[in-house]
Amino acid sequence: MVRVIRWVGESSGKKYIHPIERCIHDGGNIKKVIGTKTKVIGITKVHIPNPLHPIVPYNVLILEDEHGHRMPKKTIKDYCLGDVYEDIPNAGDNAIAAVRIKYDVGEAVDEALELIGGLAVSKKQKILLKPNLSIPGYPYLGICTNPQVIRAVISYLVRKGAEPKNITIAEQSFFMPLEKAVEKSGIAEIITEFGVNYADLAKGGFIVKKEREFTFEIAKAVYETGLLINLPVIKTDTVLGIDGAFENLTRFLSKKAFDELAKNPLKAGLALATFPHVFPPFITVGDASIGMQGNGPAMNGEPGFFNLIFAARNPVVHDTAIQEALCLKKLPYVELAGTLGYGTYEIENISFVGNELDAIRRDIKQPIGSKLIQE
Amino acid sequence: MAGCPKRFVHGVGMTKFSLDSIPMAVMAHEAIALALKDAKKSMDEIDAIVVSNSDTKMNDDRQRHFPSVLSSVLKRKMPIIRVPAVCGGGGAAFWSGLRLRYKTVLIVGVDKVASSTTPLVTREIMNASENAWEQDEGLIFPAANALVAQQHFTRFGTTHEDLELIAFKNHSNGALNPKAPFYKKPVSMEKIKNGPMIAEPFTLYDCSLTVNGAAAAVISTAPSEVEVIGSGLATDHIAPFEREDMCVWSSTVEAGKEAFAQAKVKQGDISVAEIHDAFSIVELIAYEDLGFCKKGEGKDFVRSGVINLGGRMPTNTSGGLKARGHPISPTGVAQIVEIVDQLRGRCGERQVKGAALGLAHNVGGAGGTSIVHIFRKVAG
Repeated sequence: MVRVIRWVGESSGKKYIHPIERCIHDGGNIKKVIGTKTKVIGITKVHIPNPLHPIVPYNVLILEDEHGHRMPKKTIKDYCLGDVYEDIPNAGDNAIAAVRIKYDVGEAVDEALELIGGLAVSKKQKILLKPNLSIPGYPYLGICTNPQVIRAVISYLVRKGAEPKNITIAEQSFFMPLEKAVEKSGIAEIITEFGVNYADLAKGGFIVKKEREFTFEIAKAVYETGLLINLPVIKTDTVLGIDGAFENLTRFLSKKAFDELAKNPLKAGLALATFPHVFPPFITVGDASIGMQGNGPAMNGEPGFFNLIFAARNPVVHDTAIQEALCLKKLPYVELAGTLGYGTYEIENISFVGNELDAIRRDIKQPIGSKLIQE
Repeated sequence: MAGCPKRFVHGVGMTKFSLDSIPMAVMAHEAIALALKDAKKSMDEIDAIVVSNSDTKMNDDRQRHFPSVLSSVLKRKMPIIRVPAVCGGGGAAFWSGLRLRYKTVLIVGVDKVASSTTPLVTREIMNASENAWEQDEGLIFPAANALVAQQHFTRFGTTHEDLELIAFKNHSNGALNPKAPFYKKPVSMEKIKNGPMIAEPFTLYDCSLTVNGAAAAVISTAPSEVEVIGSGLATDHIAPFEREDMCVWSSTVEAGKEAFAQAKVKQGDISVAEIHDAFSIVELIAYEDLGFCKKGEGKDFVRSGVINLGGRMPTNTSGGLKARGHPISPTGVAQIVEIVDQLRGRCGERQVKGAALGLAHNVGGAGGTSIVHIFRKVAG
């Protein structure tokens, strides 16, 4: 269900398409009005490509909701004037939600999670959130998972019945003290705001798991939680191609295990492919609100400003979809995971909800120099 | 203009609008030199300059602080300010210049837009639309205007044939303008009807031509042959979908009301007009919003032929943005160049006989900012 958002002055009645906090006319409160029942009142088929929208033809619809509010909507599918427009949620393992952010990260995260069928949460359930805080970075750089995304996920879980005291944000950094990243990224404020827990995985225990020819030391916390939510920030990576669902799991490993893998990119790729079987089932919410392109955070990459939120129940589906959406070279470890039966990696078998693949596909500055990707 | 002394246009000048890759500083210099020559003035007599350029990143000539570039190329240290308003930049610069308390002001518009591939230029121009709601959803400018056209078609029975009449008229006029890239290159109605699709229902011939160029005007409080008698500028919400009525561009309505009120003339008094035609529908809607006809009757106004050469109010005699070309910021000044030349009887084959009152209407964005100026030929 597409969401048409307006911020409306409670007393002034002024309607805004930007998330202002007070009406400038009377200083009054703002309420958010969301329309979900939309019909098509305008259509144009565009035949001229541009770098943001390289695949033509595409349609831009004007949708009007039950409040009379309108929004443009890009789609590849053909519609007629008067048609009802709706996105049907898909809770399947081969589905990925791709939602464009309309200034409101919370709404986009909420919509993405609902489009993959929503999350059922119980009050006593322990929940582990795994953002990417491997390198300290201010939120605007897209280096760490956007604190707005983490705030949105926690808010969603609390609305669904979770207790903040049962939610833990967990991460470790192999390069520098984790506290630096927690502070700089703005995550520390979120922890305080909600009263959720914070754990440096390096300081917890690890257990040994064997999978095929690999022996992993994996944070115990992973197996002590009832719901695991993987929150990678979507950024390019000179080793793995993209920091997606798979890469974000590497910091569940002990540093010793990680260093061992890092010595041999090819071996690391093979090991990564087994991750979906090593870890318990988890949801991935891919933070492409800003993200990075080029050579990622380590080598002068730059913010991507993708303005998207992804959500998927399967990491193979998640990373395959992102690889295709951002026109990246094939990620061999994701394909291997697919051939091992851990998820759908044939793009034609992945079901996009919220936005079609060709509606969001765009070329970005590619990472260069990855031995893994070349091999 | 309330509170302002009378202003007169002393001279105008413009480069040929073309696809030539000439440095912006050089184009600006040429247009200024022509305007000064026309005004019979030297740079020493200019008290201030208002320049508009759009700071695009698609060419090799991106110079954000263009006032200092002008200072270098004119070898003058003087007040120079920049007034960007995307496609309405030239009109906004002229509007601003009229309100400066100097005796003589030079207005300049310059841009180098036709210097990259169509996808890159399309992307760059799209930056003039709303970011998250429009740009992310692929609403390039032809698409945004096509959706407005579709609304107009649905509500008022306007047809694409009506828009073809506008394109044909402007191309016919442009073929008579030595400054236009389509000079001596008329485009047949058959070709217009069979143009390649851009954003349905728009074909290539519903869209203006991206060109490079510069245009300049010298205004002064001292009397001349042409007086500025009305000047209005108004701004509306950025996105057409956000407005109460997608078929009403209230910035044009308000700017027009202000200009006509100042000028103390009626729509029927206007003898020649330059109406913003970045897209064919924009010209048609402007007739309605400026009060030349009622809302929904733009099609009838176009079909009547009053806007053709030989009609009661020939419009876009320069060829308009469609056939004289649309270099973004210079467009609004180039419209004024045409109106001033019409009022002085200098337009050759496309001259409107007896032109006494002229109107220039310039728009930035899809109805975001509109600027309307009305000029009077001074008797004597």
